[in-house]
Amino acid sequence: MGITIRKATINDIQAMQNANLHNLPENYLLKYYMYHILSWPQASFVATTYDEIVHDEDAPVEDPKGDTSYINKGEKIVGYVLGKMEDDPEAEDKTPHGHITSLSVMRTYRRMGIAEKLMRQALYAMCECFDAQYVSLHVRKSNRAALHLYRDSLQFEVTSNEKSYYQDGEDAYAMKKVLKLDELIPGLMQKAEEVDDLESDLLA
Amino acid sequence: MSMRKATPILGSKEDIAFREALKLYDAKQYKKALKLVDQNLKKNSNHPESLTLKGCIIYFTGTKTEADLYVRKGLARSPTNHLVNHLAGIYFRNVENYAEAAKWYKAAIDNGSQNKQILRDLSTMQVQIRDYKNLKESRQLYLEEQPGFRANWTASAVAQHLNKNYDGAVSTLSKIEGLIKEHLSESDKVEHSECLLYKNSIISEAGNFGKALSTLEADEPEIKDKLSVLEYKARYLMLLGKLEEASKIYRILLQRNPDNAGYYSLLEVCLDTASKPVEIRLKLFSKLQKFYPRSDPPKFLPLTFVPADHPKFIELAKSYILPQLEKGVPSSFINIKPLYKDKLKLKAIESILLEFYNQKLNDKSVQPTIIVWTKYFLAQHYLYLNDLVTADRYIDEAITHSPTLVELYIIKARILKHKGEFIQASEVMNEGRELDLQDRFINSKATKYYFRANNVDKAIDTISLFTKLEEDAVNGCKDLHLMQASWVLIESAEAYARLYRELEKAKLSNEDADSEGADENEDDEDVDEKIELYKGLALKRFHAVLKLFEIFYNDQLDFHSYCMRRGTPRDYIETIKWEDNLHSTPIYSRVMKGLSKIYLDIYEQQQAAKLKAASAASTSSGSKNKKNKKKKSKAQGKKREELAAKVASEKEDQDPFGTTLLNNVVSNGNGKVLDNLFELFKPLLVEAKDNRFTWELAFELYVRQSKYVLAMQAIKNLNSVYTNYNGDNKKYKQIGDMVLRLKETTKNDPEANVAIVKVVEKGLATAFPDLTKGDEEFMQAYID
Repeated sequence: MGITIRKATINDIQAMQNANLHNLPENYLLKYYMYHILSWPQASFVATTYDEIVHDEDAPVEDPKGDTSYINKGEKIVGYVLGKMEDDPEAEDKTPHGHITSLSVMRTYRRMGIAEKLMRQALYAMCECFDAQYVSLHVRKSNRAALHLYRDSLQFEVTSNEKSYYQDGEDAYAMKKVLKLDELIPGLMQKAEEVDDLESDLLA
Repeated sequence: MSMRKATPILGSKEDIAFREALKLYDAKQYKKALKLVDQNLKKNSNHPESLTLKGCIIYFTGTKTEADLYVRKGLARSPTNHLVNHLAGIYFRNVENYAEAAKWYKAAIDNGSQNKQILRDLSTMQVQIRDYKNLKESRQLYLEEQPGFRANWTASAVAQHLNKNYDGAVSTLSKIEGLIKEHLSESDKVEHSECLLYKNSIISEAGNFGKALSTLEADEPEIKDKLSVLEYKARYLMLLGKLEEASKIYRILLQRNPDNAGYYSLLEVCLDTASKPVEIRLKLFSKLQKFYPRSDPPKFLPLTFVPADHPKFIELAKSYILPQLEKGVPSSFINIKPLYKDKLKLKAIESILLEFYNQKLNDKSVQPTIIVWTKYFLAQHYLYLNDLVTADRYIDEAITHSPTLVELYIIKARILKHKGEFIQASEVMNEGRELDLQDRFINSKATKYYFRANNVDKAIDTISLFTKLEEDAVNGCKDLHLMQASWVLIESAEAYARLYRELEKAKLSNEDADSEGADENEDDEDVDEKIELYKGLALKRFHAVLKLFEIFYNDQLDFHSYCMRRGTPRDYIETIKWEDNLHSTPIYSRVMKGLSKIYLDIYEQQQAAKLKAASAASTSSGSKNKKNKKKKSKAQGKKREELAAKVASEKEDQDPFGTTLLNNVVSNGNGKVLDNLFELFKPLLVEAKDNRFTWELAFELYVRQSKYVLAMQAIKNLNSVYTNYNGDNKKYKQIGDMVLRLKETTKNDPEANVAIVKVVEKGLATAFPDLTKGDEEFMQAYID
């Protein structure tokens, strides 16, 4: 099943909520997902499968699977990042900055770099569309995979240690990353030996 | 009418007290407000404003029926008093009767209220009930009242847009752009950018792509959302036939997001590669792979278009799959599974894997994890082929080798599930869960498998490790309802439904076995009680999901004005469309599938009971006599209470077991079981027309309701779902069976209207001409 990464739309939120409920202990009502999409439409992304690219002409039509992760035939959400801009009027720091509300990838789709790719899209969009100067997030102290992603792959820094941040009493690291638009272009982060000059004939 | 004269507005002492009460009400000081209102009504029991306000207050402090009574009293006393109208509008909005709320807000304005905020509330109600025609008017009036806010211009344009008045909407948006241009502050720029894009999307929706493109290019410097600019531009260029230019834009888009498979496909359309030899396409993708070595689509997509017998297929497949095995990517199999629709590709991949596997097995220096991940792949491969023995062998070997790898247990459990060993499957999944207690994903899997094994208690206990526990809650059941965990609710509903059906089946075969013994023993009573319990709970859980859909629909309410202020009209319009098609979400169909089975069970049982009652009125063995039930002992009562605590879906659940719900379906719906089911199912007829299930269930209901013309239409619609998909005229057995069933049913229905029977007969013959050849030959034509 190919995986594609694209901007999240309102049509995705039920399946995003479903992925969140499957993967993480911090859950939100659907309205909170609506609030994200309708306040910062550019800041959230999803990873979906795209099964239908191979159309089987012999098989009779099947209804979409009644699985809550499906949004369409052959299209199910396997990961998402839910992003927002800081909008708390009480917030100390008034410089525009983004916040990652939630990020998760289904366990069976891990180790393909999906979480990192989702993050890179969100960071780029927040910086470009909302002039986010930096982005912040919280991560469970025990979540080594996530720490590795944020610190090593995405170069976030730990800014503070928040005691009993989570419902169950676990501490969180508060992390942040300063954003500079021209250093964030996702397609140029791949250490490719060749860069598309955007002009030359691709079929030559 | 002299109503106004009789009750002058805000003149008397009562009116002064009323004004005071109104302030208190607005400040949510309901008790104090009520006191004042009651004093008023003591003096003048007919004071209409006080009556209505009392209704509004009681909505928060008392019962709904009482509240309703007072509001209606107030309205009856003074239907043209704008204060009363306004309060009634507020009241009906609170009780979520939006049509009624719109009516009274409108009345308040028509009856002379000077409070212009009512227009805003009115327009919210109008869009909520999709009364776009009147929405346009109230939004326009409000704009004229408050032209100093951009939000009101946006709101007016949205109303025009929803009325498909594209030119009007664009002109409204352009007008405010012009007015505001010189005054934009830094903080307005995001809103401005969105509104420009909104305007652009309307121009293109009206079909004017040339103008959309030129406007976009002119506005571009002020638009921050460059992703949308690029996507719009590429699309317009394509639609205008400027493919070369469009291709350049898709390359920019790929640089921004090389993991979006859609861009690659569109780039290919622009380059017209489909008409070119495979070699050209391969060349293109090998370049793209070089640009984006860490992205999946440029590696995967060639596997979809290179034929299995092409000399390059094996090499490409190898370089896609094998690195994933070496890295231990859990989705290595799922990633290539779509290719299996092509049997030759399946065979090719199988031989690649077996070769790789054998080679690694004999290689002493190889990392053992690679062999495990290969076994894991092969297990899934043979599971796909339904060769469960081989699948089992590979996964068992893998587990023996790496007993702590959670992923392996997921596949092992899935294989067991395919064997029908649900209980064992759940135990294996739980073993996997115990290996990683921190991970909710594997917890969810274990939960699901417990449900599939009909072990609801274990399922809920398992998932409760990750839910919030309110004090006094024994498990996470309430939290799961609150957090809208629809997947859990559905799985649990389906498990309860299986449980009651199993018992019913066992009971039937028991009854057949000892049909002599008319005496009911206690076991039977127990069984009946359990059947009722499970049936009630199944209904309750299914209905809980339906309730979520109601909540999701209501969730849009706040956004009708929020998005105008926030300046996100584009996504707002998408939201409206999404809400209008909410029921096309696959899980709604799944709920209806489960729910309809229960309703139809009940219906069939009632029909059977009717027949029985008619044929032998004297024998008592048919219907159970509930009065005979012995009084419950104290111990049983306590047990029941404990059970209630486990299954209740909310605090102070009045119907923890769904007993009332079940009774309502059974008795209130007397003879109306099908009508009630149809009400729930109806949205699918509009929102899920492309689903087979929609027409299958429609047919079943219409036939039972003797609505034969509609039943015929359902068959035709189902047939077009089939033929639209593959564009052929294949004749499916399912369709043939339905045609004959309808034909027979109409013919054998003595009460059927003769004219209707004719219409159906003719209609079927026209739509399915094979029918004229006789039933047998007809069915021969309709074989899959």
